[in-house]
Amino acid sequence: MIEVHSLTKTYGAQRAVSDLSFTAPSGKVTGFLGPNGAGKTTTFRCLLGLAEPTGGAALIDGRAYRELDSPRRRLGAVLESTGFHPGRTGRNHLRVISRAAGLDASRIDGLLELVGLRAAADRRVGGYSLGMRQRLGLAAAMLGNPAVLVLDEPANGLDPEGVRWVRRLLRIWADEGRTVVVSSHQLAEVAQVVDRVVIIRDGTLVNESDVADLTASRVTVRVDRTDLMVSALCSASVEHEVRPDGAIRIAGRDTAEIGGIAAQAGVTVTELSRRSAGETLEAMFLAATRGSER
Amino acid sequence: MIDLVAAEWLKLQTTRLLVGLIPAAVALSCAAVAGIVLSADGVGDLESAEGVRRVLAATGTGALMVLVLGVIISAGEHRFGTAADTFLTTPRRHRVVAAKLALGAAVGLAAGVVIVAACGGIASLLYGIEGATFPFADVDVWLTVTGALTYTTLFAVLGVGLGSLVRNQTLAVAVALAWFAVVEHTLVNLAPGIGRWLPAAAGQAIVRTPLDGLLSPLAGVALLAAYGVAIAVAGIRVAATRDA
Repeated sequence: MIEVHSLTKTYGAQRAVSDLSFTAPSGKVTGFLGPNGAGKTTTFRCLLGLAEPTGGAALIDGRAYRELDSPRRRLGAVLESTGFHPGRTGRNHLRVISRAAGLDASRIDGLLELVGLRAAADRRVGGYSLGMRQRLGLAAAMLGNPAVLVLDEPANGLDPEGVRWVRRLLRIWADEGRTVVVSSHQLAEVAQVVDRVVIIRDGTLVNESDVADLTASRVTVRVDRTDLMVSALCSASVEHEVRPDGAIRIAGRDTAEIGGIAAQAGVTVTELSRRSAGETLEAMFLAATRGSER
Repeated sequence: MIDLVAAEWLKLQTTRLLVGLIPAAVALSCAAVAGIVLSADGVGDLESAEGVRRVLAATGTGALMVLVLGVIISAGEHRFGTAADTFLTTPRRHRVVAAKLALGAAVGLAAGVVIVAACGGIASLLYGIEGATFPFADVDVWLTVTGALTYTTLFAVLGVGLGSLVRNQTLAVAVALAWFAVVEHTLVNLAPGIGRWLPAAAGQAIVRTPLDGLLSPLAGVALLAAYGVAIAVAGIRVAATRDA
């Protein structure tokens, strides 16, 4: 589990992350979303002990990264800034990490197989495509078989098939009970796999919620006589919300049921629509990122 | 700690750095030795104690390449962005620098052995061509050999420290080359009194270069080691405190 408490990181006068708090529980894929420059990478760097927070803390199972014993066994990370020596082969990259961390090198072959790099394992990384580097980074993150995975824009450089493959991996890892945090500036890349979203903008939290809470589908209905519809909904004990523009929003019911109530009330339906959790999520993400694409 | 040093050695083995720099260091030293032998004034000069010392002191020429090797061992991690991964594995970063210093010393010593062996071979070959005999039995020769090994070892350590302190690899290499090629000479000319206390002069003292005003070889070792420790400590501080 990852807990971020009032994390603040400033560079000179610039506040990259400001009083940010959120949690990422185990067994779930947490999407850490926000436009480019929102502070996602800085948050990760503070979490991983690569940058010193100006204030607050980011903890892994209650401890700062730098205090973890054998951190590679606790947490695996793929950062955008992670580099590879171009003259070293993919396999040797993994051997170096495995050796330094005192890990079992026998996992290397299996991981190369898992990320689809077995054939390229003995080629120099300098000749790898961006997607192959991402795959090598994922293998490196998994070397210590960690219970927590932190992935910064893992879909970058991958083709659509690769993106789907990463999503599948994330799902498998979370289902195994691991804590998976994945950042992205593109909701579409991760929307299908996340169980929980943390949306940030300008270094501050915009929204933190479980997707299950959003998934209760939402029906919107407009009728010619709102007052009649409202009393019909009340007598059917359907919770609802009347928007200023006259639209009535109802959570957790389907359109057929609402249409039936409208028919019984004798009102004319002018709109009857249902929004899925994905659409709710997208609307939330768009609201957070609007006007801030750089 | 053994794992960390082994990992650093693996890093070095899995790139082409050694294959590139060690032969360069050997070639540089051998060329300097050959140049001195070939420009000597006949057999008498070659076989004189000072002549032999002059030839042996030239083995230190390649130490500059060993220093560059040390710089790349540490600053190279920032050049290729592998530092983040290294610090993720070992968040207590002073341990990383300590492992690199240990590896640097070992590689510096090994490079010294290769350089000295090659220079000894070249010197003895050229002495033969000139009709002279290289005095391998002379104790002076072996004192200088010991000095040359100490020199390359300390220079490698100095390089690792410098590379941790100045994390930009190109800048660190430029600083090292500029210092030993230009700055120190200039300082010596401007203020001869302080010249003997500078690192290159300490190195010359260690390999018993026949020059006036140098420290004793042991004092040279102590001084160069002090420079190494000072730069290494500063390098460790930078690595441990600065954002990676």
